[in-house]
Amino acid sequence: MHYFRKRGWELGDGAATPEAVFRTRRQLVKALAAGPVLAAAPVLLTACDGKESSNAANGATASAADPSAHLYPVMRNLRYRVDGPLTEERHATTYNNFYEYGTSKYISQDAQQLRIRPWTVKIEGAVEKPFEIGIDDLLKKMPLEERVYRFRCVEAWGMTVPWSGFALKALVDLAKPLSKAKYVRMETFGDSSLAPGLRQPFFPWPYVEGLSMAEATNELSFIATGLYGKPIPKQNGAPLRLVAPWKYGFKNVKSIVRISFDEERPKTFWEKMGPAEYGFWANVNPEVAHPRWSQAHENVLGENRRAPTVIYNGYGEYVAGLYKGMENESLFK
Amino acid sequence: MVPWRDRAGRLSWLRMAVLAALAAPAAWVAWKYANGMLGARPANAAVREVGLWMIRFLFIALAVTPLREGLGWTRLLDVRRMIGVAAFVYGFAHITLYAAQESWKLGFVAAEIVRRIYLTIGFVGLVGLMVLAVTSTDGWQRRLRANWGRLHRTVYAIAILAVVHFFIQSKAQVSEPIFMMGLLVWLLAVRAWPRRARLGGVALALLGAGAAVLTALGEAGWYAFRLGVSPLMVLEANFRAQGFRPAWGVLIAAGIVLVLALVNTGWRRFRAARAAA
Ligand code: HEM
Repeated sequence: MHYFRKRGWELGDGAATPEAVFRTRRQLVKALAAGPVLAAAPVLLTACDGKESSNAANGATASAADPSAHLYPVMRNLRYRVDGPLTEERHATTYNNFYEYGTSKYISQDAQQLRIRPWTVKIEGAVEKPFEIGIDDLLKKMPLEERVYRFRCVEAWGMTVPWSGFALKALVDLAKPLSKAKYVRMETFGDSSLAPGLRQPFFPWPYVEGLSMAEATNELSFIATGLYGKPIPKQNGAPLRLVAPWKYGFKNVKSIVRISFDEERPKTFWEKMGPAEYGFWANVNPEVAHPRWSQAHENVLGENRRAPTVIYNGYGEYVAGLYKGMENESLFK
Repeated sequence: MVPWRDRAGRLSWLRMAVLAALAAPAAWVAWKYANGMLGARPANAAVREVGLWMIRFLFIALAVTPLREGLGWTRLLDVRRMIGVAAFVYGFAHITLYAAQESWKLGFVAAEIVRRIYLTIGFVGLVGLMVLAVTSTDGWQRRLRANWGRLHRTVYAIAILAVVHFFIQSKAQVSEPIFMMGLLVWLLAVRAWPRRARLGGVALALLGAGAAVLTALGEAGWYAFRLGVSPLMVLEANFRAQGFRPAWGVLIAAGIVLVLALVNTGWRRFRAARAAA
């Protein structure tokens, strides 16, 4: 028996006017209405993301200090499609978990203390030659694109947002890991002058996360450097953060300063905080409850409703194969 | 009888002020909810805000007796019932908003209450508060006679359940529930103190200082147990400025009681002296 499996880029039967096209048409109209902005920023048309026309105007003031502002928006990769609307930007940028700035969700103001230039990322461990690279040099080397992904937090809420950035695979290729490297370990800044939460001495700072090499080189794994067609806001993990959309949000380490290629599986921040509740794999699965709450549904940010959660957050066709033969591991916490 | 009149039917400023203070947070949350000011997950934000007010009111109701006895503020007794009933009303809103958060899937809500220990604990506490709210009337007080006091002393057990619920639902940061635990230790110590009625305000504050020390030790023990860090390091964190520290919270509360006690005594002396003169 064989069956036909639909891949992500193929249109569903009912998708006569795919969301992306529909949006783009509306955005174009808006962009045209914003005449002068359009003239000043021809990139908007090629980027198929005129939605940001108004943002490009006022975003220019907001992110004037960010030397990467001119890079965005970038072309959306339509291979990765999500049914349903995007989360409103104001929700995705004001409801954040960033424990370096406190344990509440409303840290977006406090996170503005983060200084994101100069910013260097150390590449080390089992690589041909360890090196450091400044974020702006890195951005020049990487193929930037926009991807709309679903995002599912372990706390049973979800959103759909357009990340800009590059495939983690491109960064792995740049790093030239040796064949003995089995895991990619990623670390957030630990400088307590950048974030007061780091002065809470009893938490196991710095924040550490990781992926297996197979996961890191999977096409979905993404390093986000932008959000909604602009440089990524500090509260969302500027200047670069991981996005692995089939995993719970806490895997997506923010504001990365160090990437190392290791033979040993890294011990992550949340494994240290609560090994009974948070593991290394942390793949989304509605059937496997968190000890304290059900994962069967998620609150949709900004919509005051809940939606059913899907295994691997709906990305099973890309990633389920990664876990063949690993059924004994706790893949879902 | 309306809540803003006292037993004699007179308009009571104390009752009116307390009633307004009890209603204000609910009105504020409702206003924010209605105006989209609760952010990305309004139902959840409301569950949390209302839950916090609920536990605060419960604790304030518990503090009435010690303050009345310690400071001689006898009129406080008149508003204790109102505060306790408000805690229950907020609890009802808390669970209702939780059902709203789950899109009113009541079967799911019931299943979660059974499955998740912190919800089970919270639910037992809420049912307990409901029983106390219903039996808080004069009629029930008469009917139950001596049993009424025994029944209403279960409010301490309910407070323990409330704090445990608060504690377990926390993700990583347990400062606030530990602070509440510290206050509860204080309240329980006062309650259990031999010849409690003779405890003065200063003694009350001293017990609070003791509770603050226990709070610091409890916090250090928890993080040592949970995260394997040195308890000394957690204790030491109390002496470096970094956010809210539960032990300081309890100590400050004790300090406030001390100041009130001193002002109170001073005022009494002054009045006695004037009367004598
Ligand atoms: C004595 C009764 C109860 C008290 C005093 C109480 C109090 C609280 C407090 C203080 C919080 C933490 C809020 C925060 O930190 O922001 C909380 C959280 C919560 N409570 Fe209760 N609660 C009680 C009963 C219940 C019941 C019966 C339910 C539902 C069946 C419930 C559901 C929840 C939920 C779901 C949360 C967590 C919200 C979240 O983190 O997403 N509680 N409660």
